[in-house]
Order: sequence, then C-alpha cells, then structure tokens
Amino acid sequence: MIIKFSRILGVVRNQLSGIRPSVRGYAVETLAGSLPSAERKTSSGVSATTTKPTKDLGPAKGLLAFFDSKDNWEVNEVRVGRSWRKDELRIKSNSDLHKLWYVLLKERNMLLTMLDEFNANVESFPSPERIDKVHESMVNLEEVVRERNKAYYLLETGETGERPGQLALNLLGMQFFFKTAEHVVPPKHNNHWFKTRRLGCDRREVAQFRLYHNEKIWLEKLRARRKLTRHVMKLYQKFPNIDEEALQAEFPEVNLEKVKRFKGAQGHYLFKSG
Amino acid sequence: MRFSQVLSKITKEGIGELTKKQANLPESYVRRTLQSVEWRNPRGYPQYMPKQIVKKKTYYNVEKPWTAQFQQNNAPNVRHRKVFVEPVLNWSFFVGDRVEILTGPDKGKQGTICEVIEERNWVLVEGLNLKLKSMGKTKNYPGSVIGVEQPLLINHEVSLVDPADLQSTQIEWRYTEEGEKVRVSTRTGRIIPVPIGAEATHDYKTKGTYVENKEKDTTDKDLTEITFKPTLSTFEMDVMKAEGIVETRTPSKTYWY
Repeated sequence: MIIKFSRILGVVRNQLSGIRPSVRGYAVETLAGSLPSAERKTSSGVSATTTKPTKDLGPAKGLLAFFDSKDNWEVNEVRVGRSWRKDELRIKSNSDLHKLWYVLLKERNMLLTMLDEFNANVESFPSPERIDKVHESMVNLEEVVRERNKAYYLLETGETGERPGQLALNLLGMQFFFKTAEHVVPPKHNNHWFKTRRLGCDRREVAQFRLYHNEKIWLEKLRARRKLTRHVMKLYQKFPNIDEEALQAEFPEVNLEKVKRFKGAQGHYLFKSG
Repeated sequence: MRFSQVLSKITKEGIGELTKKQANLPESYVRRTLQSVEWRNPRGYPQYMPKQIVKKKTYYNVEKPWTAQFQQNNAPNVRHRKVFVEPVLNWSFFVGDRVEILTGPDKGKQGTICEVIEERNWVLVEGLNLKLKSMGKTKNYPGSVIGVEQPLLINHEVSLVDPADLQSTQIEWRYTEEGEKVRVSTRTGRIIPVPIGAEATHDYKTKGTYVENKEKDTTDKDLTEITFKPTLSTFEMDVMKAEGIVETRTPSKTYWY
C-alpha cells in the first residue's frame, strides 16, 4: 500500500524547511526570533542556548507523528493490549494523567488519520478496535479526573462542581431533561432566552393529545408483555424439561405457573413409557 | 420497559460472554460492528427526520461473529427462522473439557470440546459427530471427503465426564473453603477443574504467555507504580501548579439556566 502524503504535505510544503528535529527547540527559537529587540538583547547577553534549556522529548517525527510506524502499514493485524481501567488510573498522579491524556490523544489522531488514509485507498484498516480501546481509556481517564474534582468541591463547597441539569416541560406538556448553560445575564433579565426556549405548557388542547400519547405507550407495553409471554410459552413447548429457575431469572415479569397451562405450551410429542 | 429492550431479550441479542472473552475486543467495538444499518436518513437537512432502520435480530450459527460468513448470514436482506434458545443459569462447558455424547451415531463416545457457541447452547466435540462433506470435486477429480463437526446441544446431547472413573456425570457448582467456585461431580463428589484451554483468546493462549507489543503497550512495572499523592486541590489546580501557571483574575458572577 502506498500512502499518499501529498494531500497533507501539499498544504505545508513551504513550511517544512523550517522544521527542526526537536519540536520544543523549534518553538523556542521562533519565539526568540519574534521577541522585541530589548528582550532579545538580555537573552543573547548570556547565551542563546542556556537561556531556556530545551527538553528532549524523544524521537521527533514532525508530521509523521500522524501516521503509524511503517511496519504496521502492510500487516493484517496489529496486536496490542487492552485499554486502561479506572482502578489503574486512580493510582496515578495528576501530572501523570495529564501526560497520559496527550499520549492517548496523539494515538487517536494517528489512528483516525490512518483509517482515513486506508479508506481513501480502499484498503482494510488493520485492527480497527484500537480506536475503541483508546477511546475507552480516554473516557475512563476523564471519569477519574472528575471523581477527584468532585471530591474536592464536595469537601470545600458542598456541591459537586459538575454542570447542573434541569427537568422542564415542553410545549406538549412532556417532561424533558436538559443540561443548563452558563449565562452572564440573570434569568429575570434574559427574556429572549425564555421566549426562544418556550418552556412550560398552558394549553388545554394538549390534554387530549397527552391522553392519546399515554394510551399509545401503554398499548406498546401491553404488546411487549404479550410477546414475552408467547415466547415463554413456545419455550415450554420446545423444551419440556426446561430449567424453570433459569427461565424465571431471564423473564422475571412472566407468570410461569399460568403460562405453562396454556394450550400452546403443551407440545406435539408423546412421552416414552417405561 | 421499552419495546426494543424486550425484543433484544427475546432474540437473546448480544454476543455471549464466552465469545466476548475469546474475541478479547472492547465492548463498544462489538456493539458497533454487530448492528447492521439497513437504512439511514441523510443528516443535516430539515426535511428528513433523524431515523434509521437497524437490523436488531442477529442470527448466530457455528460461525464466529468476526468472520465473513457471519456477516453474510446477517446481511440486511437475509432473514432466518426464529431460533429458540433454552435459558441456562450457569454455563459449565468449556473448551478442552472431556465430554460424552448422549445421542446420534457417536452415542457413548468421549471426546474433548474444541469450540463453544454460547449463543445457541452448542458445543463442537473434536472428531466426533461428523458430517462428511466432499471438497474440490471436478470432472476429472472425485474430490476429497472431510468430516465437519456438527453442533451438539449442551442440555441433553452431551454430558461432562467425571475424571475419577471416566463415566459421564451430572455436575453442580459449589464453593470450596477458600471461596472458589468449582464444578463438582454429583455422583462421586470430585472437583472437575476448568481446563486451561478455556482461558485462550484471540490474542494469547494464557495470560502469562501474552507477548507485549514493544512499541505500543505499557509495561507492567509502569502500570502498577503508585504515583498518586492526595492533596487538597482539583486536577486543574494541581496541573497549573506543576506547570507554573498563576491565575490572578477573579471570575465575575454567572447564572446557570
């Protein structure tokens, strides 16, 4: 498979000559170049290199960091481990989690770029479950961070510090949940918001609609229950020696004593005598 | 209870726990790939409702869900007769178990389980209960005959073998004094250990023999190292302190609604 770099490289071809091996070093140098002359004088008074020591962040790949290593381009499967679990993340310090987040983010960027590239070339992407594994790790990490923040806010302020939610009625008088947003203007001065939201219900005509709607939901439930009962009835017919404990565990709302006396539960077979 | 939930219950939708273990895939990936969308309205236009037709009923067979044959069986235009599966409380047949066959031409013979299909209450016994199939038959070549293992129902077509006397037996799940859950033969009271083959997944035979990916995987030492020290600060405050960022501004009053 030949990966076409031209699509990405075409955009930044002119800037490529400026990229140095170390990403951090590159950023520092350009920053020093753009600083006003007075500040540059103070820094150059000592030495250009000793003013801010550049950390070595491992092998810098530049834009190639968006792609997987070349060994994984032509294989059918890339075998990797599982995702990070919450218990494993809980024992890591905040700065470790902060670093891990960016490791995962870079991995996800890489995987999605590769997926796009494979799709563009009508090739099958090896081990697409890697995307899910990285996503799962990121969700778990975020959850652990929120746990820590919640504990702090509950201790200090008595509130969770989470984004609050609210239950409200819509125009049809049906309840719905929405996550509230942060506003600078207090609600009593923000008429526009309430007019556009149109919360609450004060119409008499809606009552008839609600009646029909509830009836529909109720009938749906009834139909579902009947379907379950029929299914259990058929199971009795097909398996006369069925394990009733397991059956009741799987269908807790079905009355087995009643169902097994149905005509449909009897079956067309004769027991062997003797 | 929603109607869709009921439907999923009836068809025993969702992949079996043992199959999940063998595939060793994340839950979201399994869910994402199992559902086949028959029709989806284009999104982002006012004239279309956000509707889609998803084929919910999945037909399980001896083919594993990650094979191409399984995808063919569950293509949007393919329909199957409804399959009734007897509910089982505790699954007790694993890959590598010695079992005796109770029906069919191989009745009374013993063999080892080579595959478990939990979604249909089936097991395949290695080299037994075969169906002969001729492969590669042409005008000049008569073809070669191979035997394909046919599935057996766990409830009344196979039974486990007691290792004490090599006779078929009924089993029970009991707890040892250490609190470990084990299978016990009801006839002799001997423990029937779960074979090591049950641990095998697509990625490794046993957990101990898993070969780490040098480039991608986190090592066990890094994973188990405890670096967390509890402090009275949020995550953001801690990271700002470590990075040397000082916030001097005070936020103005805001309202949540």
